[in-house]
Amino acid sequence: MNGYERNGSVRNGHGSNGKRSSRYSAFSLLSHGLTKKDWPLAWRKHDLAKTYDVVIIGGGIHGLATAYYLAKNHGIQNVAVLDKGYLGGGGSGRNTAILRSNYLTPEGIRFYDRSVKLYEGLAADLNFNVMFSQRGHLTLAHNDASLRTMRWRAEVNKIQGVDSDVIDPAAIKKLVPYMDVTEEARYPILGALYHPPGGIIRHDAVVWGYARAADAYGVHMHQQTEVTGIDVSDGQVTGVQTNRGTISAPIVVNCTAGWSTLITDMAGVQTPIQTFPLQAAVTEPVRPFLDTVVVSGTLHVYVSQTDRGELVFGASVDPFASYSMRGSLEFVEGLAGHVLELMPPLHKMRLLRQWSGLCDMTPDYSPIMGPTPVDGFYVDVGWGTYGFKAGPVSGEAMAECIATQRTPEIISAFGLARFTDGELVGEKGAAAVGH
Amino acid sequence: MIELPCPLCGPRNVSEFRYAGEGGVRPDPETTTPAEWRRYLYMHRNPLGWTKENWYHGSGCRRYFSLERHTETHEIRTPDTNTDNTPLPENAGQAR
Amino acid sequence: MTQQDTRPASADGATASHRIGVQPGEVLDRTSTLDFTWNGTAHVAHPGDTIVSALAAAGVRVFSRSFKYHRPRGLLTGSFHDPGCTLQVDDEPNVRAAHRLVEAGMDVSSQNTWPSLRFDVKAANQMVGRFLAPGFYYKTFIKPQRLWPTYQKVLARFAHAGVTSPDTAEGYYDKRYAHPDVLVAGGGPAGLAAALAAAEAGARVMLVDEEHHLGGHLRWGGSRDLGALGALLERVSRSEHIEVLTNSVVLGRYDDNWVGVVQRGLPGVPERLVKARAKVLVVASGLIERPYVFAGNDLPGVMLSTAARRLINLYAVRPGQRAVVLSANAAGDAAAEDLRRAGVDVAAVVDPRRGQDIVRAHGRRGGLSAVELTDGRTIEADLLVTAVGWTTMTALLNMAGNRPSYVPDAARFVPDPLTMPDGVLATGGIVGDGSTDQLLAHGSAVGSEAARRAAARRRTRIAATPTSRAPSHDRGSPDLAVLAKTTRDGDPVSIPDLPPGAHPELFRAGTHGMVDYSEDVSSKDIISAAREGYDSAELVKRYTTVTMGTVQGKLELVNAVAVLAEATGATIAETGTTTWRPMYAPITLGALAGRSFEPVRYSPIQPWHEAHRAVPLVAGQWIRPDHYGDPAREVKAVRENVGIIDVTPIGKLDLRGPDVPQLLNQLYINKWSKLAVGRVRYGVMCAEDGVVMDDGVTGRLGEDHYLMSTTSSGAATIWEWVENWLQTEHPEWQVHVQPVTTAYASINVAGPRSRELVGRLTEGIDLSAEAFPYMNVRTGRIAGVDDCVLWRIGFTGELSYELHVPAGYGLHVWERLLEHGKDLGVKAFGVEAQRILRLEKGHLIIGQDTDGLTRAYSAGLDWAVKLDKADFAGKPELVWQQAETGGMRLVGLQPVDESIVPPEASQIVRPGSGKTLEIMGRITSSRMSPTLNRSICLGQLDASLAVAGTVVTVRLPDGRDVTAKVTEQLAHVDPSGERQQLVTDVPEAIPAGIEPPDLPRSAITPDRAVADPTPSWRFAGKPPGAPDAPVHIYDLCGLAKFGVRAASDGDLARSLGADFARTTRVEDGSLVVGSGPGEWLVLVDPARSADVHAQLESEADAAQGLASVVDLTHGRALIRLAGTRSADLLAKVCGIDFSNDITPDGSALRTSVAKLVTDIVRNDHDGVPGYLLHCERSSGTYLFHALVDAGTEFGIESVR
Repeated sequence: MNGYERNGSVRNGHGSNGKRSSRYSAFSLLSHGLTKKDWPLAWRKHDLAKTYDVVIIGGGIHGLATAYYLAKNHGIQNVAVLDKGYLGGGGSGRNTAILRSNYLTPEGIRFYDRSVKLYEGLAADLNFNVMFSQRGHLTLAHNDASLRTMRWRAEVNKIQGVDSDVIDPAAIKKLVPYMDVTEEARYPILGALYHPPGGIIRHDAVVWGYARAADAYGVHMHQQTEVTGIDVSDGQVTGVQTNRGTISAPIVVNCTAGWSTLITDMAGVQTPIQTFPLQAAVTEPVRPFLDTVVVSGTLHVYVSQTDRGELVFGASVDPFASYSMRGSLEFVEGLAGHVLELMPPLHKMRLLRQWSGLCDMTPDYSPIMGPTPVDGFYVDVGWGTYGFKAGPVSGEAMAECIATQRTPEIISAFGLARFTDGELVGEKGAAAVGH
Repeated sequence: MIELPCPLCGPRNVSEFRYAGEGGVRPDPETTTPAEWRRYLYMHRNPLGWTKENWYHGSGCRRYFSLERHTETHEIRTPDTNTDNTPLPENAGQAR
Repeated sequence: MTQQDTRPASADGATASHRIGVQPGEVLDRTSTLDFTWNGTAHVAHPGDTIVSALAAAGVRVFSRSFKYHRPRGLLTGSFHDPGCTLQVDDEPNVRAAHRLVEAGMDVSSQNTWPSLRFDVKAANQMVGRFLAPGFYYKTFIKPQRLWPTYQKVLARFAHAGVTSPDTAEGYYDKRYAHPDVLVAGGGPAGLAAALAAAEAGARVMLVDEEHHLGGHLRWGGSRDLGALGALLERVSRSEHIEVLTNSVVLGRYDDNWVGVVQRGLPGVPERLVKARAKVLVVASGLIERPYVFAGNDLPGVMLSTAARRLINLYAVRPGQRAVVLSANAAGDAAAEDLRRAGVDVAAVVDPRRGQDIVRAHGRRGGLSAVELTDGRTIEADLLVTAVGWTTMTALLNMAGNRPSYVPDAARFVPDPLTMPDGVLATGGIVGDGSTDQLLAHGSAVGSEAARRAAARRRTRIAATPTSRAPSHDRGSPDLAVLAKTTRDGDPVSIPDLPPGAHPELFRAGTHGMVDYSEDVSSKDIISAAREGYDSAELVKRYTTVTMGTVQGKLELVNAVAVLAEATGATIAETGTTTWRPMYAPITLGALAGRSFEPVRYSPIQPWHEAHRAVPLVAGQWIRPDHYGDPAREVKAVRENVGIIDVTPIGKLDLRGPDVPQLLNQLYINKWSKLAVGRVRYGVMCAEDGVVMDDGVTGRLGEDHYLMSTTSSGAATIWEWVENWLQTEHPEWQVHVQPVTTAYASINVAGPRSRELVGRLTEGIDLSAEAFPYMNVRTGRIAGVDDCVLWRIGFTGELSYELHVPAGYGLHVWERLLEHGKDLGVKAFGVEAQRILRLEKGHLIIGQDTDGLTRAYSAGLDWAVKLDKADFAGKPELVWQQAETGGMRLVGLQPVDESIVPPEASQIVRPGSGKTLEIMGRITSSRMSPTLNRSICLGQLDASLAVAGTVVTVRLPDGRDVTAKVTEQLAHVDPSGERQQLVTDVPEAIPAGIEPPDLPRSAITPDRAVADPTPSWRFAGKPPGAPDAPVHIYDLCGLAKFGVRAASDGDLARSLGADFARTTRVEDGSLVVGSGPGEWLVLVDPARSADVHAQLESEADAAQGLASVVDLTHGRALIRLAGTRSADLLAKVCGIDFSNDITPDGSALRTSVAKLVTDIVRNDHDGVPGYLLHCERSSGTYLFHALVDAGTEFGIESVR
């Protein structure tokens, strides 16, 4: 499809200048303050067009980033992003916003490292402060098996040029004074994988930043627009049906998480995905005391503190497949227990709210990206618990994949065919060894 | 904490059980093809709605059993849950 | 005011006491006082005072500073949810000070104020407020990016709220399970009436209220309200079926009516989490008064009518001197009355019902000074009381799936009756309004209906629960007869209408003010966010953080929605609300965590390990000896003489039946059909994806009797894996599986002199090389202990025997081995020495030398894979893998520099394109070999390099590269395996004076012999001398225990006579427990053990089909609880409903107790409830201590 630039913006003629919305800066903030003038819309509302060159299903970070890079890097601007709810209402707005690239496999590391690089430049690129705080990331080891895995990750990371190393309990205590590093602990801490570039980010800001920037390129964002069917004729996608009408499009991209099976079913594509809830919780704010992100695989918990002072907790997915986002009491019980195993003095802090997101788990803890047996139907799914980390690089790679009709090397390991070929990615290997 | 109706032990907290998934028929290892076998290993129907699945009552009778569960509401369908209307037995209430 | 009234120390701006005379509904104990401090100055309170009421009585008006603009904040709601009254108490942050009662000595301070509450530097933010518009952060600090962290540190300074301390001592909290028929959330009039009606219908009721006292708004009402309340409370106190929990809150309703309740301020524990499986939940959480949005609405001195009425009527505090009352409803009118009565000068009552309204409030010196009205007047006042409407507390209903709808005429949301689940009912203010009598009538009807539904659910539950099938003679009970009567026809109780009363829609005055007090979000912020496109309830919430603060939206959500609707031109109904999520109220991490239930497992030899300063190794649940000081010396002892290691955690499964060989062929990749009696074989198991899963040896003890061993970490998984094959794929196979891991203490005796040592203790077994060759098994008597199993195998590569000894005698045999091996140089060795020994021998450890994707061929197991077998787990994948070339291979490696030990996980690399390195493999195991005196390794290596002699580059963690050579075999020591075939003389088997101890050790106190259980287990009467207590705990490990498996309808089943889930007492006193379908546990006095065992054996042999008996005497720990509170104790560690109708005397069930799989048998005596609990042996100590800990609050007594 080499005619994209031509068909693209020209046909629907929404301008491709990145300058539409007034730029954000301390100065503009000041002048808006003085003049009390309203800010322009972060993104415009549109009627559903009859046809788009690319229809992206899912208005989360993956869908929006794909749209943004299609427009920015490949000049493909006649693009619609459809969301059944509001932008960033799914996994993008429900995750715990932890970023890292200290994975186990070379393919995983290369991929997530690119993502972190893109995140580092994102605020400037999008003219939207996404508040990326590279405060360091600790993965604790409570037994020699997981310590071995941490070293394994550290060694592969170093060879891939990613800043990671294994540190001892004393060094951990320095970073996190609240941590119980005594040998009396039920799950004594033997060491940790320390990853300085890891950190946290304001997840909503990333979504809004991409949406606003994509809008500036003329991309249409349609909220409250639910896809009810995908039109396929002779193995080629021709469009989608929605609760607001039918759209014809030669390219349809499934960028959904949680409900991706519903969409792939519409196109008649089978995936090895099973949907599990992932729960998270947040405490009342207290004066900041925790600078790094702390993760314990053995205790299934991760902790970080926001600038507002809230502790944000996450854990592993629920024990059985479900599309429910109601959450469970046993989750917060287990979570609190494990947090206090790590940091006993925190027992007087109060949990304010819990919530759930849906995770599409794959057998090898790695995504499914690229073309499918149905021509023009692409997937960027199976993101498990790590989709947010990969948003920018996935958008960049999917955009390239769609525009060039070639699967970029950086995602070549993540094709759907790997499951029938028995070529699973090794991240699960780490998980299995880890605990 | 949802409850699962163990066919042997009666209703118990889900934490007593291990989720054993959708299951599926094991292909004949003599004649199977990679595609068929790996579909058996990896593929899932993963429906939003009613699904038939297997559970193992590891903290109870240690039996595998199947039930139908709604993956969004967590309602459970089982062969009629025999509602008995006879008056209740003696000295109900906490043991004293 | 009387003399004993509080005389406040001079506190911020306080001049005189604001405490007035005694009020009819007041909760103070004026006869005594409590001292506490506020921001360093001394204050006094009466018992019953909240922190805030005491301070308000002292004239304190400002309690905190706001989140973003640091505006002074005072008392707004006077309740738990008061955003301005969140204070630091000692080392506890964010205390709800308008709810928390004063305790003597409390050190209370305001949060987030610097340098002081009165002068707060950050208040400068107010000046720049107009620039701190929503999305402020998103729009700035963008460039230069590298400066963001610096900005961030500054911003973090502004973080709200209290402080934690790393020195805070560990907490001790509590949990319990409950199984109420009806749980009523909310103790106002409707809730009280519902609870009473349900209880009178025979239901067991739990009544929960957030306040310290029941009664809801009746408490601050007039004399008629107080009279009605008195009558209700009287009835509640008389009801046996109502459990009242005040100062408690329902934090959430989860699926299947799993309801979390947190109890606060209990003796001994700050908070307790109650997990209730409510058959019916009645939500009576009432209404919360809604603040009004106008300029200055957050000034100290502006408060809600309910706040003013609470202060006056409950705490006898005059809220101010001169008041303006904005009253749009009866509550406001009543507040005006209360104010006058309290001596407040009510300067004006502004009544929106008559078209009047206010414009804004003016402040001076951090407080309200005047109120500007729409009629142009500006009235001096230090108090503005607003009553503009109510917010329905539908959170619990939302969590139950109910979607409330907005009723404009009532200016509030109401539950949608159509989406109300069957197990949930609502009453009181959240449904509608009415007189007290109407509320009570509605509540009663709802209560009766709740009881009716609960009774039906209870009957269904009883019918579905096998333990409840009690003999017919204990049926029919007074209260339940009532229940049956009231619900015989089963008709739903008709519930009277309770429509919400008409109310003007009042959300925002003409001016802009605070919508979210805890987040400092104003109506103007919401409108400008909407204009930027953040125009749905969810987006505006995320963009402005409205409703995301510590009040969780209770006060601000509806105002936020109203302002958003105003901005978008939509109706409130169209705009809708955001989802209410748990927690309903914040709950401490301590309460959620409760006590840590993390089962730990010990070998029966643990006392010796501890006595000999073993360095502990935490291996999952097991605590094992890593080494005893010098692993290298331990290795040498094994190679040169003989060593013994405690390998009890090795998984063991007792397999019986004619089809065991088929099972083994299915599980293992190698062949099992021809294993002769007396032989053992090593086997490897793969999962269906061909990935190596576990390994171990299995021995054939008899014609149809096998003992399988697994890795210790894999024991549980493999047992379940075996059951999976037997139950789902091959139900036709006749095999009985019984886990016996801890029925035996396992001791590996390894080294050239092991035959000599073992021979000195063994009777009845010829140990000679020819009579007992390598890879064989024998059974016999060791150190005077019968029924021991000996395996001749060699994980260490030495001549070695693995002894499996009945666990109670494990320590005895261990000590005899050391004693009789002194002259042979015997030495105990730990896990680390074993790791070195097996690495020298090249034996892989699954999970270390393999990973989650390693298929059999990559693990160097080519020799074991038998693809000519028709089927085995994972076969297809291995067929295909065999065809592949490439992939990884497990190899032996030896660094060229013998002194360098590359740390495990060091990567094997080679130069790639450009400056990059290509990863070709990794070191999976590495140690310095004390035997070879050089470094040795195992590694996963790319097949192309996995050729003996290849030299590879290893990148060390410190960045250095070293070279290592691929070895011929995996084994570095004795590759040909001669050592384990070693032939030595057998000593004359003279077990000189070796007698077994008369009694085995207890599983609970392994350092002591079992107590004689006979006196204590069959009778209620505690042994003489044991103190009286509401619950006693006994160690009954001494009882003999036999596991029986047979057809559930055969002769053996009939002669045993106990159905599944029930028990039978035999004449000789034995107890037969129907522990599973076709499974029994027979408990016997030790004296009768041999006879009963023999009898069971013979019956089993005679039985039709497969029947088996396994002696579990040593394999299980057995504990008895007896006494009036034993069920209450169990409710703290076990989720089972122990009511007499669900779990009557004679019940038998298996469940989880303190996170440990445990069998429970209800075994009353003379009407005294009692329970037998048993679990696998190694967890006995853990279970015992968990029960004792749970019993402390009841004064539990331990009896030996």
